[in-house]
Amino acid sequence: MENNKREIAITIEDLHIYYKDIKRFSLKSSGLSGFNSTVFKAVKGISFEVEKGEIVGICGKNGSGKSTTLRAIAGIFSADHGKIDLHGNSISLLSIGVGFQRKLTGYENIFLSGMLLGFTRNQIKEKLDEIIEFSELGDAVYKPVRSYSSGMYSKLAFAITAILETDIMLIDEVFSVGDIKFKAKSYNKMKELISDDDRTVIIVSHSSKTLRELCDRVIWLHDGKIKEIGPSDEVVDHYEAFMAEE
Amino acid sequence: MKRFFRDLRKYWDYIQYETRASLKSEISGSYLGWIWLVLEPLCFMLIYTFIAGVVFGSKTDYFPIFVFAGLSIWNFFNKTVTSSVKLVAANRDIVTKVYVPKFILLLVRIFVNLFKMFVTFILLIAFMIFFKVPISWNILWVIPIIICTIIVTFGVSSIFMHFGVFIDDLVNVTAIGLKFMFYLSGIFYQISTKVPKPYNTILLCGNPIAFLIKSFRDSLIYCSGVHIIILLAWFGIGIILSIIGIRTIYKYENTYVKVMRG
Repeated sequence: MENNKREIAITIEDLHIYYKDIKRFSLKSSGLSGFNSTVFKAVKGISFEVEKGEIVGICGKNGSGKSTTLRAIAGIFSADHGKIDLHGNSISLLSIGVGFQRKLTGYENIFLSGMLLGFTRNQIKEKLDEIIEFSELGDAVYKPVRSYSSGMYSKLAFAITAILETDIMLIDEVFSVGDIKFKAKSYNKMKELISDDDRTVIIVSHSSKTLRELCDRVIWLHDGKIKEIGPSDEVVDHYEAFMAEE
Repeated sequence: MKRFFRDLRKYWDYIQYETRASLKSEISGSYLGWIWLVLEPLCFMLIYTFIAGVVFGSKTDYFPIFVFAGLSIWNFFNKTVTSSVKLVAANRDIVTKVYVPKFILLLVRIFVNLFKMFVTFILLIAFMIFFKVPISWNILWVIPIIICTIIVTFGVSSIFMHFGVFIDDLVNVTAIGLKFMFYLSGIFYQISTKVPKPYNTILLCGNPIAFLIKSFRDSLIYCSGVHIIILLAWFGIGIILSIIGIRTIYKYENTYVKVMRG
């Protein structure tokens, strides 16, 4: 990396996220006993910054708060404490099947998903052919999504989010999509997207290969806290050693 | 509130597209398709006409139209409120994966039901021509009445939508409440003549749907004007409810996803 200071794309300061257990009480149980609010702390005070154009991986075992952090950055829920600053960048969480309506065709779902991600109809139209081509669906794109195999479903979802580009992309383990051929293709597409110097990417993954090959830095989350943050190979080595012991 | 209009503009395209898509996906599943949009209210009209006219011996002018007009407004209100309670859960796939202002989901439902209401209106016009119902300029009152209906419905639904996320029992409560309201709204009887003296006025002023249905019929079928002050009052209450609803949803919508995890 160059030495001159680059623009910061994401700033996270002392992020806390709690799941309060007052969830979905029914009238009967809440009336007398009051709220027995057990608080589950999913993320306990993490801070980091991501530079513009940087690719950061997040690893950690199940339940360490990876996906929660990612969703908080995407704005799906708010921090209970601390701050997330995106410095005005557009953001998308690359995940499977945003807002798909199963009875509608893939073609219509491309528009629905795209609009939910904040694109206008014209922007989607421009990219439409590219999406359809990348998804390898061919004429099946005009058939209802409910008739798709799970592989086709994932391919379409991946194609939509991969081709409609935003400044910041958040990726939650999507490399296990489709057959081997498509996997390789989506991996390469990911590489291509990522190699764009202006695009900031955060990847959550269990795959050491992905983390090592794609990321500049890796953050290792453990029990809602940052255990280690640093160059990919170093952190992934430690993480692997740790997981082998468990 | 500024945020409301900004989000509205931002997601306007989506609302339109999703409305069309929802209608299409509802229709595409059934054999008769869009015919159901006409057939369903028509059948209910026949049932209520039969029960009220034959069983209870009701005598009202243009009775089928009378019932039909009531049903079209009622169905809009009923369907929207009912779906609003479970709306966030029903859109789980969207809500857990992308940020969308939650009232947008409600607006989609409103437009879907609005479209259905307009389909029944077409039918209503056909009936009126068939029965040769006289009309007057008072029919123009229909427009403010419908606007008022939409606003009141939005206000009520937005509040139900918020609490529906947290309270499971709300489904049962609203089902009972709405059933009660159905009978209190005079869909197949005339409140002003069938309900004894002080109560009919109370009902017509205090139950917005009863009032709106009555006004709708008055202007449409009976060539008379409407009670402007009460209409304005409900218009105002509707706006206030909507503002409360929108504010509450904005304030708490970020916790909805967390609650749904359980």
